[in-house]
Amino acid sequence: MPMIEVQNLTKRYRERVAVDALNFSVAEGEILGFLGPNGAGKSTTMKILTGFLPPSEGTAKVAGFDVFEQPLEVKRRIGYLPETPPLYPEMTVAGYLKFVAELKRVPGRGLRAEVERVSGLTGLADVMGRVIQNLSKGYKQRVGIAQALLGSPPVLILDEPTEGLDPAQRAEVRGLIKGLAGKHTVILSTHILPEVTMTCEKVLIINQGRVVAYDQIRKLAKVHGGKAENVSLEEIFIKLTAA
Amino acid sequence: MRTALAIARKELSIYFTTPWAYAVFTAMLAVSSFFFVNSLFDFQRAQEMARTYGWDRIPQEFRNLTDGVMVPFWSTVVMITLFVVPFLSMRLFAEEKRNKTFELLMTAPVRPVEIVLGKYLGGLGIITTTLGLTIFFPVLLTVFGKADSGSALEWSTVLLGYGGLLLWGATCMAVGMFISSLTESQMVAALVTFAVLLPWMLLQGLAQATEEPVRSFISYLSFGAQLQGLMRGVLDLKAIVFFCSVIFFSLLLSHRTVEAQRWA
Ligand SMILES: Nc1ncnc2c1ncn2[C@@H]1O[C@H](COP(=O)(O)OP(=O)(O)OP(=O)(O)O)[C@@H](O)[C@H]1O
Ligand SMILES: [Mg+2]
Repeated sequence: MPMIEVQNLTKRYRERVAVDALNFSVAEGEILGFLGPNGAGKSTTMKILTGFLPPSEGTAKVAGFDVFEQPLEVKRRIGYLPETPPLYPEMTVAGYLKFVAELKRVPGRGLRAEVERVSGLTGLADVMGRVIQNLSKGYKQRVGIAQALLGSPPVLILDEPTEGLDPAQRAEVRGLIKGLAGKHTVILSTHILPEVTMTCEKVLIINQGRVVAYDQIRKLAKVHGGKAENVSLEEIFIKLTAA
Repeated sequence: MRTALAIARKELSIYFTTPWAYAVFTAMLAVSSFFFVNSLFDFQRAQEMARTYGWDRIPQEFRNLTDGVMVPFWSTVVMITLFVVPFLSMRLFAEEKRNKTFELLMTAPVRPVEIVLGKYLGGLGIITTTLGLTIFFPVLLTVFGKADSGSALEWSTVLLGYGGLLLWGATCMAVGMFISSLTESQMVAALVTFAVLLPWMLLQGLAQATEEPVRSFISYLSFGAQLQGLMRGVLDLKAIVFFCSVIFFSLLLSHRTVEAQRWA
């Protein structure tokens, strides 16, 4: 059984169709790169998967639970980084992470250790006492990632996780996500295509709410590369999403 | 319920780091101390008149400090509460929506009822603190005031009066929280809350212009009429039931709005 299963998923904001009859599934332990030009509907799809928005049509299932029918079961299994990190500017990093851990029902005894674990993973140890408002953009992003990792949920939905990070930290987060493969199921959206080639096996490219490619990166390269041996994901992306 | 408490704690810690809460505390203390001193002077004048003209010429309530000072003082605190609560309740949901942190609450394994209760508990904490600051004045009277029969104040009445004040603050907060759940803009939330609370308070005046039985129905609904007993330190069960129902329905409506996000 796939960990994430999306069938005929459609989302309309009034008249505008943001996501149009999407079908895909992600197997347990797989990392799926989720690509598409601006406004393609990536964030919208992720909001539906996490139960924040209801679908207009179709279904989405996480670990066999329908996101609309059994939202609590789904939310218990998902760590979510929205495209705007959901931070309380007045709180300190430590206070914030403790709060999110409580929201996710991390048991009281393991809470401090869990907060320390994710802050170590995301390089936050030095800023734990600082007020979020005063952090730089990249550090805010790290706090957002740390928040998603709390409680080590089996499914991670990360909307542009490396946005705003410096090259070193970006490589670190990339390594982090790669290390999640096998144990965690990850959907990762990004505009940095080499990152996808490095971390993901499989990609899903959408354009104007519709799937334009959904396959292993190797196979895509073979199909779209034609005679050229080393066609980059970037070239494929541009070719598929043009017009 | 542990998550509800976590949310309440978070609300309180944010309240106490923003300047809003301190502005509200200052406003409450400054305005209420002005009116407190005013009613003290009135009381003193009444005492002097009594000495000159005899007690039968002086209204009943000036016989003791509780009725002569605390009761008029509470009615001003009631009005100050009506003015400051919108500034405290406005952020409860509107800020989360604007900050996109609502997404965090709604995608965490937390039921809407826990979100609403947690937020409301936080709101209660801040309004209780605001109103609690004014207990300074009756304490002052007890310390410095003198009466023939022991304590200057009847503390049983004072405590009942404060119970009534808290119930009033809790009611305003519940209404304000519901309105905050409807919008992304804190400014709009504060203005609408105020525009709802003030006319609701003054509904009594409108009742005068109508016939029975509409008149008694309208004044039954009026905050002002319902507060009359409570603000004299009377245990008015009918009013307590009335305010508790307003709180309950506001919480119910807030729950509905949060739940509705799932259907948006
Ligand atoms: N709340 C909303 N109301 C109306 N339309 C919306 C809303 N949110 C998104 N849309 C529209 O839905 C479409 C998809 O938006 P979405 O945010 O999912 O794109 P995206 O793929 O995440 O883009 P980006 O790469 O820029 O983050 C866009 O056309 C956008 O204008
Ligand atoms: Mg997006």
